[in-house]
Amino acid sequence: MNDRPSPLKFLARPELDNPALIVSWTGDTGGLGGRVTDHLVSVLGGRPFCEIEPVEFWPFDGVAVEKSVIQFPEVRFVAGGRRDLAVFQSPPPALNWYRLLDLILEAAQQVNVREIYAVGAMVSLAAHTSPRQVLATFSSPQIKDTLVGYDLGRGWDFETPPGQRPTLNSFLVWAAQRRNMAAVALWVPVPFYLVSSDDPRARRRVLSFFDERFNLGLDYAQLDAEVADQDARIASIRASSPEADQALKKLESGDTLSQEESQRLAAEIERALSDKSG
Amino acid sequence: MGVRYFIEPKLDKPDLIASWPGICNIGLVATDMLRVQIGAEPLAEIEPWDFFYPKKVVIQGGVLRSLDFPGSTFYYARLKTKDVIVFVGEEQPADGARLYAEGRKAYQIANLVLDVAERFGCRRVYASGAAVALSHHTLPPRVRVAAGSEALNREIRTTYANTLLMSERRGRGDTGSITGLNGLLLGMAKKRGLEAVCLMGEIPDYLSTVPLPYPRASRSVLDVLARILGITVDFGPLEAMAAQVDEIITGIYDKLPPEIRERVDQRKAALQPAAEAITEEDEKWISEHIDELFKKGGGRNERPT
Repeated sequence: MNDRPSPLKFLARPELDNPALIVSWTGDTGGLGGRVTDHLVSVLGGRPFCEIEPVEFWPFDGVAVEKSVIQFPEVRFVAGGRRDLAVFQSPPPALNWYRLLDLILEAAQQVNVREIYAVGAMVSLAAHTSPRQVLATFSSPQIKDTLVGYDLGRGWDFETPPGQRPTLNSFLVWAAQRRNMAAVALWVPVPFYLVSSDDPRARRRVLSFFDERFNLGLDYAQLDAEVADQDARIASIRASSPEADQALKKLESGDTLSQEESQRLAAEIERALSDKSG
Repeated sequence: MGVRYFIEPKLDKPDLIASWPGICNIGLVATDMLRVQIGAEPLAEIEPWDFFYPKKVVIQGGVLRSLDFPGSTFYYARLKTKDVIVFVGEEQPADGARLYAEGRKAYQIANLVLDVAERFGCRRVYASGAAVALSHHTLPPRVRVAAGSEALNREIRTTYANTLLMSERRGRGDTGSITGLNGLLLGMAKKRGLEAVCLMGEIPDYLSTVPLPYPRASRSVLDVLARILGITVDFGPLEAMAAQVDEIITGIYDKLPPEIRERVDQRKAALQPAAEAITEEDEKWISEHIDELFKKGGGRNERPT
């Protein structure tokens, strides 16, 4: 596969000083990763300095259209707001996963990235008001020790259950291990009924970690307003739907819902949130 | 992208017997059963990450300990009659939702398999798979053959009972194809000047989309492979599996609409000459109702493990 010209295209050489690279996959669960890095870029500034030609990673047998808007994969690195931070944004590849991950790491090494953070969400069966514990998967015990002072779930055990596959972020951490690079995958719980809309609480949670880690001095007023607004919308749904209220009460008290109850709650909340946001 | 060798044994012109998943895994089950029965030892594996998405991650104490990929493993055995390399591909390196590999990745992995075979002096390659046929599930499946030359076709067809050439299919003319890597490997073997043979166990058309193994056909393929290698194999495990699957198939068959069953049953009386294909409508009906056919089977709806 290495007999072709590299699809890695540097547009500029940004002034970076052993930065951290934050990796996000746009359109992932809850849209979390893309929204987190969008927020960082909009607050901190920066512009694309490197792109990866997408032709090897999607079939290109047509083009996707979402809400009447034509989509085309943008695979890019952004930096410039700070010397210690760069961002990678891309939709998850459909083909040649390892090749893309390896190119990301190659670009990261070219700008002397010291540690990589991959942002991802995991579907949670808890209520949106529940505290969010961020779990971390580390590429090595050394990077795990580096992050000992942060509020991360650091000691968990996991094996992919039969019939499921690992996430792309686990694949990235493994690929980083092969290059002896420090990498961390961050997993933020997103309630199942917010997976197809937005979860500002999850965004706030992961942004506050980056804020603490890199002293970003983020202002949370806008995010807190979004959290409050979503809480108010869901409260309104509860007020008008005893069934939804009952289901959310069960979740808040730690009970589980039946599959049918879960589907009804998710459909109701997704419909209400999408009506009001549309 | 490469191959990791576990051992470098001296082999004498080994045959390569290779298989990847395909229709009802007929070839794969036969090949893997052969591997077990001849006690083949691990020889090498293809490095997987360029071809496959991982299948399992293990995290311990928050640290990623391992990432497992679908295996593409070579085994070897020295039999009394000849040496053998067995290749078992756990998945075809298909992108997205397709079952079969195609394009660059298929070409690359097939080349790697042949590179390993030639490294040990291989001159003949067998692949195995399925042949969708106008047959009946109560009849013993035959083994269709397509080889790299007419001479090789003749050799296999005349030497081994229960085989017939792919071109002997009625109503399909002299053309056809072998889908995926089980076919591509042989085309590329032929291009390298190796002898190439495909052994395809028959499966009735109305079962070819059923998500089950079809051990009766795997047994037929294994039987031919065993005779080619001059060995005796124990068909017990495949027969036990076949008994389980037969029960499920009977359950499905009993629920087919009478007009489809009648067309299929004509095949039992006079197999190929008078055989009538199920119609496109029949096929559509079966594929649309396949879940239903499984669900309503009472005790017959369990799949064999």
